[in-house]
Amino acid sequence: MTHDDFDDLDRALAALPQEEPPAGLHARIMAATVYRPAPSVPPWEVWLMGTLIALAAWSLWAVVTAPSVGIRIADEIARLVTNAGLTSDYTLLWLAMGVSITWWVSLLSFPSSRRKRIEAQ
Amino acid sequence: MGLALAVEPPVTAPVLEDQALIAAALQGHGDAFGELVTRYERAVYNLALRTLRDRTEAEDAAQEAFFKAYRALASFRPGAKFSTWIFTICYRGCCDRLAKRKRLSSDELPDRADPSAGPALLAEQNDEAVRLRAAIDTLPEKYRAVITLYHLQGMQYEEIASVLNLPLGTVKTHLFRAKEQLRKVLTT
Repeated sequence: MTHDDFDDLDRALAALPQEEPPAGLHARIMAATVYRPAPSVPPWEVWLMGTLIALAAWSLWAVVTAPSVGIRIADEIARLVTNAGLTSDYTLLWLAMGVSITWWVSLLSFPSSRRKRIEAQ
Repeated sequence: MGLALAVEPPVTAPVLEDQALIAAALQGHGDAFGELVTRYERAVYNLALRTLRDRTEAEDAAQEAFFKAYRALASFRPGAKFSTWIFTICYRGCCDRLAKRKRLSSDELPDRADPSAGPALLAEQNDEAVRLRAAIDTLPEKYRAVITLYHLQGMQYEEIASVLNLPLGTVKTHLFRAKEQLRKVLTT
């Protein structure tokens, strides 16, 4: 190889064959691109869920770090109970009646309608 | 004889341009992207290999480059060359990997280099191609990239400047200095 110019070096470089990539490279690329399974959750849903979780975390943090949070929450619950009339015996009686009726109705089994019977035949 | 006559001459399928393959890939034809991979995987792998000097990492870098290209295919500018684009993506990925390597180790990567890259071993290599590859591996990263793109990939100065994000003059200077260093390594 001469020292005066790069002719020999250029020729050697031009003749230098490229190395063969590993045998599985093509398959790996295709698996990572074309054949990659589509995500089960679309990206916008992921963003929405992330935003909601962040908001919830921030709200929780804001509530927990507020001064005298325990007393304020207890006061707020007591106020809601009073305003809703849950301290009244009559209200509790009606609520109990409603719950028991709902439970009793849920135990009933009704016969299927005539139309459905005809369809079944 | 009869069998020989029955064989039809091979029909040469029209070679689709890269642009057409990209358009087809964007329409959901996975085979079109597969053809692009077939065309450029070797070149991309070689660029990554020469830049990173590590086969495993070069394979990962090549895969990552095609993955990024596939995801950004819709943003590919019509009229641009796919080769320049994929080389640019690959080279940037390699630079990121080199920077990460440097952060992890303050040394100048001698342990990650190919064992054949040492000048002492160069003299023992009889094969011209092996010697030349090993000599290229001893060059600084910026020179390796220029040499690889210019000689091994046959790219023009302007394309190299685009891929490496360097001025045209700097590319020419790097190429000249790379050859000077290569010659020194090969003659010692």
